[in-house]
Amino acid sequence: MTSQVDVMSKFQAEQDTRKARRIDRHTVSAIAVFVLCVVLILASRLVSPSLGSWQQVLTVLTLASFLVVLSFGQGLVILTGGLDLSLPAVITLGGVLTTTWIGNGPGAWYMLPFVLAICGGVGLASAIGIVWLKVPPFIMTMATSIIVSSAALGLTNGTPRGASPDVLLLLMKGSWLGIPAPVYFLVIFAVVGWIVQSRTVFGRYLYALGTNRDAARIAGVPITLVSVLPYVISAVCAGFVGMMLVGYANGATLRMGDNYMLPSIAAVVIGGSSILGGNGNFAGTVGGAILLTTVGTVIAAIGLEQGLRTIIEGGIILVALLLLREELFERLRGLSGKPRSGG
Amino acid sequence: MASLTHSTPHRMRRAQPMKLLTSGAGIVFVLYVLLYAIYASLQPSALSSSTFTNLVNNSVPLAIAAAGETLVVLSRGFDLSVAGVISLTNVLMAVYPQEGPFGALVSLAICLAVGGIVGAVNGWLVAILRLQAIAATLATMIVCQGLALVILDAPGGMVADWVSYELTDRLFGVLPISGLFVLAVVLAWLVFKRTNLGLGLYAVGADEQAASLSGISVIKVRFAAFVGAGMIYGLAGFMLSAQTATGNPNSGTPFLMLAFAAVALGGTSLSGGRGGLIGSILGAATLMLLQKVLFSGGVSSFYTGIFQGVVLVLAIVFGSAFARLTGRRTTA
Amino acid sequence: MKRSMFMLATAMMAATFGSGMVSQPAHAQDGKKFKIYLSLSYSGNSWQSEAANIVKALAATPPYNDMVELTEVISGTDPQAQISAYESMIEAGADGIVSFPISSTALNRTIKRGCEAGVLFFMYDATVTQPCAYNVSYITSGFGENSAQALVNELGGKGKIFLSRGVPGNSVDKRHTDGALSIFKKYPGIEIAAEYYSYWDDRTTQQETAKALVAHPDVDGIWAQAGEYGAIQALLDKGGKLVPMTGENSNGFRLALADPAMQEKGLRGVSAGSPPAQSGYAFKLMMEILTKKRELAATNIEYPLPWVPADKVKICKGEKFEDGCNAFADGVVPSSFVTEVLDPVLLPELSIQSALNGTPVEGATIQALPAEVKQAPNEPDINCQGCEPPADLYHLTKIEPTVQP
Repeated sequence: MTSQVDVMSKFQAEQDTRKARRIDRHTVSAIAVFVLCVVLILASRLVSPSLGSWQQVLTVLTLASFLVVLSFGQGLVILTGGLDLSLPAVITLGGVLTTTWIGNGPGAWYMLPFVLAICGGVGLASAIGIVWLKVPPFIMTMATSIIVSSAALGLTNGTPRGASPDVLLLLMKGSWLGIPAPVYFLVIFAVVGWIVQSRTVFGRYLYALGTNRDAARIAGVPITLVSVLPYVISAVCAGFVGMMLVGYANGATLRMGDNYMLPSIAAVVIGGSSILGGNGNFAGTVGGAILLTTVGTVIAAIGLEQGLRTIIEGGIILVALLLLREELFERLRGLSGKPRSGG
Repeated sequence: MASLTHSTPHRMRRAQPMKLLTSGAGIVFVLYVLLYAIYASLQPSALSSSTFTNLVNNSVPLAIAAAGETLVVLSRGFDLSVAGVISLTNVLMAVYPQEGPFGALVSLAICLAVGGIVGAVNGWLVAILRLQAIAATLATMIVCQGLALVILDAPGGMVADWVSYELTDRLFGVLPISGLFVLAVVLAWLVFKRTNLGLGLYAVGADEQAASLSGISVIKVRFAAFVGAGMIYGLAGFMLSAQTATGNPNSGTPFLMLAFAAVALGGTSLSGGRGGLIGSILGAATLMLLQKVLFSGGVSSFYTGIFQGVVLVLAIVFGSAFARLTGRRTTA
Repeated sequence: MKRSMFMLATAMMAATFGSGMVSQPAHAQDGKKFKIYLSLSYSGNSWQSEAANIVKALAATPPYNDMVELTEVISGTDPQAQISAYESMIEAGADGIVSFPISSTALNRTIKRGCEAGVLFFMYDATVTQPCAYNVSYITSGFGENSAQALVNELGGKGKIFLSRGVPGNSVDKRHTDGALSIFKKYPGIEIAAEYYSYWDDRTTQQETAKALVAHPDVDGIWAQAGEYGAIQALLDKGGKLVPMTGENSNGFRLALADPAMQEKGLRGVSAGSPPAQSGYAFKLMMEILTKKRELAATNIEYPLPWVPADKVKICKGEKFEDGCNAFADGVVPSSFVTEVLDPVLLPELSIQSALNGTPVEGATIQALPAEVKQAPNEPDINCQGCEPPADLYHLTKIEPTVQP
């Protein structure tokens, strides 16, 4: 008994100092990502005079909203040391079910949550495989992904039908005071996501789990629940992104999620989280998502052949990674950098 | 392979052949044989040497790519550049074909060099500059894809005849030549595994700090893993070109996910330190065989995906259950 | 009776490639069914599934329903997977393979082996360069150059335009774009402000167009490949001003072209491009060869380019293309549905239900195809290897220039 209390208090203390450092480092890192976005947007004036405008900021934020929601879930999974490869398939599932089952008919208010629950069920299935059957997350989510895509294909017979429910059109197409609705949504989602990840007991448990599973267990973290929930949340987020895409384009296709897999991981990692789990901050992830989208808009405006543009895109990501290197900050602040694992 | 049950380098030397069966590679080998038996019962021609050669030829590029990925995964890293290197070397082979056996040798050297350079860049970014492997290699993958597109902007070109005919042929009418390349990779691995660098690979993957304290240069090991992996991807690109005989700037893309699946199926832990190259090669072969089995089993195309997913999970679950039952695989 | 010009053409083809073997159907009509495989790439979009569905519907239409054993295999976007699938089919004793090839070149070796084993290969839409395979495709019919000229005409020869392309590194995309550029380059007043890849997908087109609009809000026209409906959406998102644009055959695009409210906002243009009906034509040709109703050596066959300017859009009352109609009312099919899946001449057996569900039409029977097939011109790396393209490769067939450079 005593030993457990000892361990627990020691763990808590460790957590506190860790947290202090974490906020410090990750706040700096998140700010740096945002600064980089601003610099990139301003610099894009050099590419085209119409760039670097307020309009560009709004477009970037609208397009980034998909990636922000997606990488919130992905970020939670990564925080626990996992990885979710089923996102594209679940995006498609969410989108396809929304148009085929709901469409612009009535009943959206109870059907939308129902579709999200189905998506959550997919996440739960992944989690069961990972937590109880001990299948590596990479393989388990890849397998659910293959299964879900296959099911979506069979379900729609290849051609998804139907249109978007009005409420989603409102979310994605509406605007207020000259600012598109998705931008408001992005801000609210970012704040809520940050609170969940950094200011709740659940969030703290996730960090504990990702840092050291055994220590977290001893400290009384409900390991099973905390391991399962990120996958469920991630799948619900992906399903919701499917709905957002349905609202954005007023319809669904079976490949609508394809382009989101690597970006969802990249946003999290560029935002300063470790792919090995246990550290990171949602503000940084939001910045990472916005940065990636900004790069996309700038690249789209460069008048070069695709191969060269692709090279430049890779180059910009690389430069961003080099600029956002932790050691750089630590050196800047004159800290003696403790060796950290690369991974 | 047997050594994957232990993480300390010093115990690895005492590997016993008995443990072979319970290692990741052993389990996936059993799985492969089982699947092949099913395949042969559904499709009697499966046992003919030409069918087997086709199957081997089909599996070789993925098997070699997965072997390369294993090096990085063992050191607790991720390497997405596999897709980029394969695309890049494939278009180089198709746009600048070198005729004859000597030309093939030159092509091979170019492929290995290109892969090695990309691997060195990865190693520099990850081992020395300490960027996160998944993000750094994502960037190099994108750059390589761009380069491939610059060199060849649409599928086309011709791989040298000597390469595309000789390397997909059979030796003495039975042995698929492409299989010999895999064998060469395996032999190189068996030698490398016993060197200090090879032992360091497991040690770094299992516990970086402990490895560093015991005098292993973590930077050197990581760097070597990336360079070695890059060169092996180059070889995979070479073999892919031999098989398809033409260039395609997107030819590497399908390898990205499949390589990781093959690595995991082969019993290598994606969090590093446990596993081996042979398992990955067998894992890749199993993935390719599975397509054949599902086809000859007459599984409707809509449900093929469901079967593939379920088999993937079951293989891993049974594999680890089997290992746990026999008590050989201790938790690292 | 059908020894018309195409026989001459095929004889020439045979001479050129030295592979003039008319594949003997492995199993004649001895009561045994023909083993036909349908090999797809990914089946993720309307186009792919419609093309597959009509083959299934035709195979279930009498008398083919008693003659054909059809198996569908989906290989995703990985050429290795399709190579493996072809090999399995050859081993299983296929009589014919109808396929959307994932790569124009990577499958050649396997196809050659299949031809030697007596398997008929019919490629639809996308093509292969292996001479022993039949390519049935619109790709040589000049979508790129004709649609580009239509856009230039609409713009009066000058303006800033976007190119919304397909998949980078893809030969179909390259052919279309090369054709279009051959026209745009003639007009110094045409400025290509942005060029982006939309992966033939509505959503991606919408997002990429939105990005390009940030840098160039003053765009005057859009030349788009499939996914064009997304470009309209992106323009509408930006505040409702539309511009002249050309695109492929989605029902949404056709309805928009014909919609007075959209025309009011500035939408004009042409709907052309890839028809899923090619798969049905390829399948019927193959069956006529297998049943010995037709003799035709392996060759490249051109499918006519659908060409529907705004004033020619006509909404169908029923479920078929009748009385020259070419689009369906909103709600009957999704906006991404590709309407050119039906053809009153080549595929009179089918209705939209066939395209959506793969079901045959009640009471329909297979009708014979017109005797003549149109020989496609050579295009290097598209339908032949190491061959010379005709000098007038990019000549206009559907439209005349109304403005001079």
